[in-house]
Amino acid sequence: MVGGLKRKHSDLEEEEEDEKWDWGPAGLRSYQQALLRISLDKVQRSLGPRAPSLRRHVLIHNTLQQLQAALCLAPAPALPPEPLFLGEEDFSLSATIGSILRELETSMDETEPPQNPVAPPGPQNEVLPQPDPVFLEALSSRYLGDSGLDDFFLDIDTSAVEKEPAPAPPEPPHNLFCAPGSWEWNELDHIMEIILGS
Amino acid sequence: MAGAGGGGCPAGGNDLQWCFSQVKGAVDEDVAEADIISTVEFNYSGDLLATGDKGGRVVIFQREQEAVVRTKCRIWRDGVLPLFACILAVRYAATALPAERWGSGLREAHRNKSRPHSRGEYNVYSTFQSHEPEFDYLKSLEIEEKINKIRWLPQQNAAHFLLSTNDKTIKLWKISERDKRAEGYNLKDEDGRLRDPFRITALRVPILKPMDLMVEASPRRIFANAHTYHINSISVNSDHETYLSADDLRINLWHLEITDRSFNIVDIKPVNMEELTEVITAAEFHPHQCNVFVYSSSKGTIRLCDMRSSALCDRHAKFFEEPEDPSSRSFFSEIISSISDVKFSHSGRYMMTRDYLSVKVWDLNMESRPVETHQVHEYLRSKLCSLYENDCIFDKFECCWSGSDSAIMTGSYNNFFRMFDRTTRRDVTLEASRENSKPRASLKPRKVCTGGKRKKDEISVDSLDFNKKILHTAWHPAENIIAVAATNNLYIFQDKVN
Repeated sequence: MVGGLKRKHSDLEEEEEDEKWDWGPAGLRSYQQALLRISLDKVQRSLGPRAPSLRRHVLIHNTLQQLQAALCLAPAPALPPEPLFLGEEDFSLSATIGSILRELETSMDETEPPQNPVAPPGPQNEVLPQPDPVFLEALSSRYLGDSGLDDFFLDIDTSAVEKEPAPAPPEPPHNLFCAPGSWEWNELDHIMEIILGS
Repeated sequence: MAGAGGGGCPAGGNDLQWCFSQVKGAVDEDVAEADIISTVEFNYSGDLLATGDKGGRVVIFQREQEAVVRTKCRIWRDGVLPLFACILAVRYAATALPAERWGSGLREAHRNKSRPHSRGEYNVYSTFQSHEPEFDYLKSLEIEEKINKIRWLPQQNAAHFLLSTNDKTIKLWKISERDKRAEGYNLKDEDGRLRDPFRITALRVPILKPMDLMVEASPRRIFANAHTYHINSISVNSDHETYLSADDLRINLWHLEITDRSFNIVDIKPVNMEELTEVITAAEFHPHQCNVFVYSSSKGTIRLCDMRSSALCDRHAKFFEEPEDPSSRSFFSEIISSISDVKFSHSGRYMMTRDYLSVKVWDLNMESRPVETHQVHEYLRSKLCSLYENDCIFDKFECCWSGSDSAIMTGSYNNFFRMFDRTTRRDVTLEASRENSKPRASLKPRKVCTGGKRKKDEISVDSLDFNKKILHTAWHPAENIIAVAATNNLYIFQDKVN
């Protein structure tokens, strides 16, 4: 596996070494895009039957932030580790990707301030990040014997499990993006491709 | 706890000639995931060596008593020559054998009959299943049975105690020997059947009879349900009554006798989890000051805390961080600065941290920068992108001090491990492999070629096997004996002088 990956990225590394002191803008951009791709891939792959390593997740997230900053996107981080710990695969994947998308979308728009997600993949996406810190607090205090079972359930926001008809994936409003065909448009397109696994 | 019992062990990594001693584990190319060793730890005397694996098992090796001397005296002369074997078992650590140990000493001497001068080899003493896989129904997540850490307690009586932990639960195990059994009970037969008490007409005192040595492991305490996140460290305090356990965001203090309560002493969980940017990666108590401990972070910082200052040690007493070198900044700077292990020196004056590419020694009195930095595998710096992609960049290497603190050791890839002598400032790369496993064969230093013409016997960076990682190593507390875990095999190397 290592050999195969090396073949894929040896170009990158050779480029890195040869152009050590002279990063052309094109080379740098493709490098950053590759790293972005790899990072998003990792976030996707970190879901599984076992709780993912929080350390790994935080480090990848911090790297993603740096990449976004470098790709001239304003950082608007929203780390959703809780959905991963809940292990609700559908929820967490959409929440994670949704939040990353949200970041990219809102940060690309310079005029509109970041609001509720414009293109949520599902209704759960909006709600999940909120109850989770509380959920875990309740959980940990329960572990340490502080609260009764009733208190534990009071903290859970059940709107997450209430079914709503999922909206059709909306057309991204044109005023939020640069013209289709621009670099940012292609970037988003590419990311969507990875996520949808096509 | 400095290596006083070393019996004149010389200065350190490079003045020593490391030789192969033993290798434990399967030879198969096919490695069963459960057999992968996940932690290695010598006990306080070095007599016992414990390993934990991904399958939740603990295997304890015991060093055979060295210098078993057998003298045969002929007492009959006329044709009948029974051998009167007079066996003296002398413990290498020069502690007198208590009377009841003499018996087992004799038994061990019998085992070594074929090798009268056993060099103090480690053989299996006890094996037990410490942790089982669990399922957290609330979160629909599996809890791995992998043993993350083992820490021994100092020995206070004939039994041995150790703490072993997986991601969620810490257990205190008692390992005890039984070499006698009682015979001649009044209330039950030899078969174990109960006797009718009314039929008993005479009483007898049960007598103790020797039996084959049996080593039993039993869980004495289970410390559970105190960690929401994954436990990465446990550390026994110098008061021998308390210990700490650290997960990604919290550190708890326990009393060894009390399992239903622990005190939270560090909590770095932000109110809003979306603001989380840093986790705890390792923690350890100071070897002498029972109120002091340190913890390291994923951002390359170490905080020293004093438990006397407040109940919740969120404010550190000291903060250790080396300023970043702006010329070497990259997207991976933070990841490679993440500290994977922190260890106090035996003296308590220094601590050592391991990040992805280097080992640093810090003087506890100087927070601004380390006093020593040793490069482990600097040639990987240009490969960070690949290592990020194949996840190797997240590997957590451990490090350890020699008994006298004069040398430090840590692992690398391709089954290489590195030793740094702090006095001579020399370093060496050695390899744990079955090819170099002839008894008492000296280990040849290895070299990685970084570019240009590859010399004979050098290995190029691109040929390194990144699946063969040495993450866990341990150094005997008093002698120059090291244990190196290479995936599912445990290598033991000794200094030639030994």
